[in-house]
Amino acid sequence: MSSTTVESTPSRRGADAQRSGNGSSSGPGPSFLRVLNSEFIKFRTLLSTLILLGSTVVVMVGFGALSAWGTGQFSEAAARDPEVGARLAAQGGDIAVSVPTSGIAFAQLILGSLGVLLMSSEFTTGMARSTFAAVPKRIPAFAAKLVVVVVTSFVVTAASTLAAGFVSVPILDNYGLGLDLGSPQSVKLLLVNSIYVAAVAAIGMALGTLIRNSAGGIMSLVGLFFVAPIAFQLIPGDFFVEARKYLPGNTVDPLTAVEHLPDTLEAWQAGLVLGAWVVIPVLLAAVLLKRRDV
Amino acid sequence: MIEARGLTKVYGDKTAVAGVNFTVEAGRVTGFLGPNGAGKSTTMRMIMGLDRPTSGSVTVNGSPLTGHAAPLRDVGALLDAKAVHTSRSAYNHLLAMAATHSIPKKRVHEVIEMTGLAEVARKKVGGFSLGMGQRLGIAAALLGDPQTVILDEPVNGLDPEGVVWVRNLVKYLASEGRTVFLSSHLMSEMAVTADHLIVIGRGRIIADAPIQEIITGKGQGRTRVRTDQPDRLMQLLAGTGVSVEVQERELLEVTGLDPRQIATAALENHVMIYELTPLQASLEEAYMELTKDEVEYHSLITTGAVPVEAGGN
Repeated sequence: MSSTTVESTPSRRGADAQRSGNGSSSGPGPSFLRVLNSEFIKFRTLLSTLILLGSTVVVMVGFGALSAWGTGQFSEAAARDPEVGARLAAQGGDIAVSVPTSGIAFAQLILGSLGVLLMSSEFTTGMARSTFAAVPKRIPAFAAKLVVVVVTSFVVTAASTLAAGFVSVPILDNYGLGLDLGSPQSVKLLLVNSIYVAAVAAIGMALGTLIRNSAGGIMSLVGLFFVAPIAFQLIPGDFFVEARKYLPGNTVDPLTAVEHLPDTLEAWQAGLVLGAWVVIPVLLAAVLLKRRDV
Repeated sequence: MIEARGLTKVYGDKTAVAGVNFTVEAGRVTGFLGPNGAGKSTTMRMIMGLDRPTSGSVTVNGSPLTGHAAPLRDVGALLDAKAVHTSRSAYNHLLAMAATHSIPKKRVHEVIEMTGLAEVARKKVGGFSLGMGQRLGIAAALLGDPQTVILDEPVNGLDPEGVVWVRNLVKYLASEGRTVFLSSHLMSEMAVTADHLIVIGRGRIIADAPIQEIITGKGQGRTRVRTDQPDRLMQLLAGTGVSVEVQERELLEVTGLDPRQIATAALENHVMIYELTPLQASLEEAYMELTKDEVEYHSLITTGAVPVEAGGN
C-alpha cells in the first residue's frame, strides 16, 4: 500500500531536502490513505496484536471442532433415545449449520478487547502524543484506526469461521450429519457474525478512546456484552425483558434466524439497533477525542 | 517562528500558563527556562496542538498546527521520551510516523544513523534507557526535516557525550535558519547552548532577552557595600527596582543600582563606605534571582538574609 499511495515526485522531495528552513513545508502531508497506511504499520508491528488475532483463529477452530463432535454425539443420542429425539425435533432446522460460528462469543471478546487496546494503549504508553503531533486534526487518525480495526476483525472472523467449517465438516460427516459451507444459511451466518464481531471491535475502540485505560475499557466491554444480558435476565419486570432485546449482544440471533423467534426483534430492527450501538459511541468518541487534551 | 499571544491554560483551579506572550525567532537557539512545574511542557504541548489553550493562541509560521498541510515537515517535537508504544521497535515507530507524510524509508534510516540508534533500532522501545528514549524522540522530531524543532528537556538522561551531541545539533539546526525552541530547568545547560532565553515561572514570562543580557542584565548586577551606617544607607538607596540584603552587621548587598549610584548617594549624605565591590552574576544566580518568587516548590532553606524590598522584576 505504501508505495502506491505516494504522490510526491522525486523532484519535490529533492527540493524538500535542499530547503534551508525558511517558509512553510513542502512535501506531502497526512492524507487519509497515508494515515491509514501508518495505522496499518502500527497494527502489524505489535506482537500482542498478532497474538490476539492468532488466538481468535485457534479459539474459533477449536470450538468449531468441539461443537461438531458434541453435535454428532447429540444426534446419535437422539437416534437411540426418543426423549432426546423429541428435543432435537423441537429445535427444528439444521443443527449442524451453526457449528462453524460456535466460538463467536470468544472471538467477540478477543477482538473487542483488541479494539479497546489499540486505542487505550496509545494513551497509556504516550504514543498518542506522537500520533496526534503527526496528525493534529486527530479525526483522520481515529478514522484510519477504526478502518483497520473493523476490517481486520471482519476478515479474521470470516476466515476463522471458514477454517472452523473446514475442520467441522469431516467430523460431522462421521456422525452422518451434512454441513454445506456454501448453503445460503451458512454464508449468512458467516457474514452476519463477522459483521457483528467487527461491530463489537468498533464499540471496543470507542470505549478505549473514551476511557483511555485498557482495564477499564475491557471491563466496560465485558459488562456490556457478558454481564448486562445475564443481569437483565435475572432482574424481574417487563421493562428488563423488553430492554434485553436492545442489548447489542442480542441482535445476532434475530439477524440470522430462519424464522422470527419469540421475544426478539425483527431482523431489520436488530440491524438498526446494532448500527446505533456502533455509531453513537464511535461518534461520541470522535467528538471527545477532538476536544480533549492528549 | 513560534508566536504565543495571551496563551493561557487552566487545569481545574490551577493556572499552568497565565496569558503569556512570546516570539521564538528562526535562526537562533531559544532556551525556555524555568523551574519544574513552571508551565514549560504545557506551553510546548499547546504549540503542538496536543493541549487546547483555555484562551489565547499559539501559532507556528503564522497558523496553529492544525492548520498546517504537512505538520511533521513543519514542526518536529520531542515532548516526552515516553511518547512511544513500548512494545514496538524504534524502527517501526519511526516508519509508522513517516508513513503519515510519505517520508521515504531512506530518511528513517538517516535519522536512526544521525541519532546513533542503529544498533538498537530493531529492539523494543520498552527496553530502552532514558538516554536512548531521548535519542529516539529526537530522531522522531527530525524525521520530517522540519523548519521548527521543539525539544522538551532533551538532555535529560543523556550521557555526557549525548549532551554535547544535542548541544551541537541544536546549534547546527539554528545555523541552518531553523527555529529551535529548547526547554530545560538547568541554567548551566542553557548558558552554553542558547542564544536567547525565555524564562518562565508559575506560568508567567519573567524574562525574554538575549542570554548575555540576562547574565549581565541591568538590575541583575549586585554590589557589595561595607558601611558603618547600614540602616541610614538602606534608607537612602530604597526605591523601585532596588533591593538590599543585609549580609553581616556592616555588609550589604545591593541589587538594582550600579556602584557609582551607590557612591553618589553615600557621598551626598555623608555616609562613609569602606568597601564597594561589583559582583558579576552567573547565569545560575541570575536565574535564581529571576525565579525566586516564582518557584512552585520552594525548598525550605533560608540564608538568613533580610530582603528590605522585593526586587521589581
